Amino acid sequence: EAAFLSRSEGAGGLARWVLVELQGEVEPRQSGGLAGSLLGDLHYTREGVPVLIVGHHILYGKVVQLEKPFAVLVKRRAGESGPAGPQTHYTVTALIKTKLLFKTRPKPIITNVPKKV
Amino acid sequence: GAMRSRAEVDATLQTAKLNPEELLPAVHCLSFGPQAGAGDCCLLQLEPGLCAELEAGRSLVIRGEKDEQAVLCSKDKTYDMKIADTSNMLLFIPGCKTPEELNADQASCDIIHSQIAGFSNHYWELRRCRPKLKKLRKLLMEDPYEGPDSQKDQTLTFSKYTTEDLLSLIQASEEEILHQLQVIDACKIEGYWRILEFDYEMKLLNHVTQLIDSESWSLSKVPLRTCLEELGSLEPREMIEHILLSYGRKYIDDAGEVYFEMHEDKICRAIAQMLLQNAVKFNLSEFREVWQQSVPDGMTTRLDQLKGLALVDKTSRPETICLLKVEDLPEDNQERFNSLFRIREKWTEVDITPYIQDLCAEKQTVGTLLTKYARSSMQNGVKVYNSRRPIS
Repeated sequence: EAAFLSRSEGAGGLARWVLVELQGEVEPRQSGGLAGSLLGDLHYTREGVPVLIVGHHILYGKVVQLEKPFAVLVKRRAGESGPAGPQTHYTVTALIKTKLLFKTRPKPIITNVPKKV
Repeated sequence: GAMRSRAEVDATLQTAKLNPEELLPAVHCLSFGPQAGAGDCCLLQLEPGLCAELEAGRSLVIRGEKDEQAVLCSKDKTYDMKIADTSNMLLFIPGCKTPEELNADQASCDIIHSQIAGFSNHYWELRRCRPKLKKLRKLLMEDPYEGPDSQKDQTLTFSKYTTEDLLSLIQASEEEILHQLQVIDACKIEGYWRILEFDYEMKLLNHVTQLIDSESWSLSKVPLRTCLEELGSLEPREMIEHILLSYGRKYIDDAGEVYFEMHEDKICRAIAQMLLQNAVKFNLSEFREVWQQSVPDGMTTRLDQLKGLALVDKTSRPETICLLKVEDLPEDNQERFNSLFRIREKWTEVDITPYIQDLCAEKQTVGTLLTKYARSSMQNGVKVYNSRRPIS
């Protein structure tokens, strides 16, 4: 069985994506799954430090140039059978050379409690 | 859901007590795309060189049957694939800009709505490995070519393989496969790759060596034209040329005539194989005598021509020799060593090297293999290697 990885068709070369690395797991806040739901706002300080606000947390991270880039593979439906059986086709959709690594413990956002009058 | 507005972003910043003055003006609002949870996307970590190949537009192939561990092949290299787990979550985001990119582009959008294409807690890792070529010989040995007179080829058989067939069945890159086909002297007959059946191969070789003898040609100047003229009535021309190519080096002289410089070592080795395959073991000195008499005039037999083909036992009285072909041994490192230690309990480095040389990966030596898979000791002042664990 063989699986083919080929470049996705498209002018101007492979797309460049970015990896965001977070601790923990991704879980939908609402029922109904992840699709369409917001993760958070990604800012950068003027010094280039990525800051991610997720729910009630602030995460500080750093930009890392990957020593070994990643290829993003998207699986396509199995094509016609070859001599060795059905063949799967993966399309190399993008390359990832940079990641935003958020390793520090998230700082909780404490909203102001109004003083009692 | 509705897309976030600047006002909402600013409100969040305020709640978080972050000073907008200390931040770049652009913000990425990250949400999960429609297919993010589907799991169709996965990550492949690239070894050096592969990234450049992809960017140059070349494809990669993953090969492996259900009972094989998948490998990834570029045009000329093969890699083992392994899943690496991370304890973190990896989100892959198209269109997400780095600080450098934002700074470089003054007109960059204030709010960038980025959709997360997918996420994963694992990725594929690659490690360069030896191409898995033993299967190639195994496939071609299913139906070795016995010559045009053989009845076998008349029948339809599916044990014949084209280049395309081999590419989809062998876990190796195209260049590695084509190179190996050359190494094993395979030839293309009617579009299929074939290995010659040994007896037929010896028959062809014998035609050539007898002709060399009767014409008194120098072994380094065997003319193709005359071989085809004299032998063309006995065997197909392609087969005559093939045997000359297998056992000689082709060159063209100043007059444009094609000649072959015969490989003495390879011819002696083939004749040894022919002699040795007829019995389990031979008396060494008797064998050496018969062997020398069997090779063409002018050729000298030497035991070192038989590395990886035959094993000499210097401990038996009389000394003996038997056939042991490295290509018949297992391809996996541990299994290879197990099998060698089953054949002989203790090996010297000189004796075992021809049987493990092909296991060496890109920067490995025989020494490192022996350190890993064997235990050494001294025997009669000589260093010998035996198995690390009991062999059944």
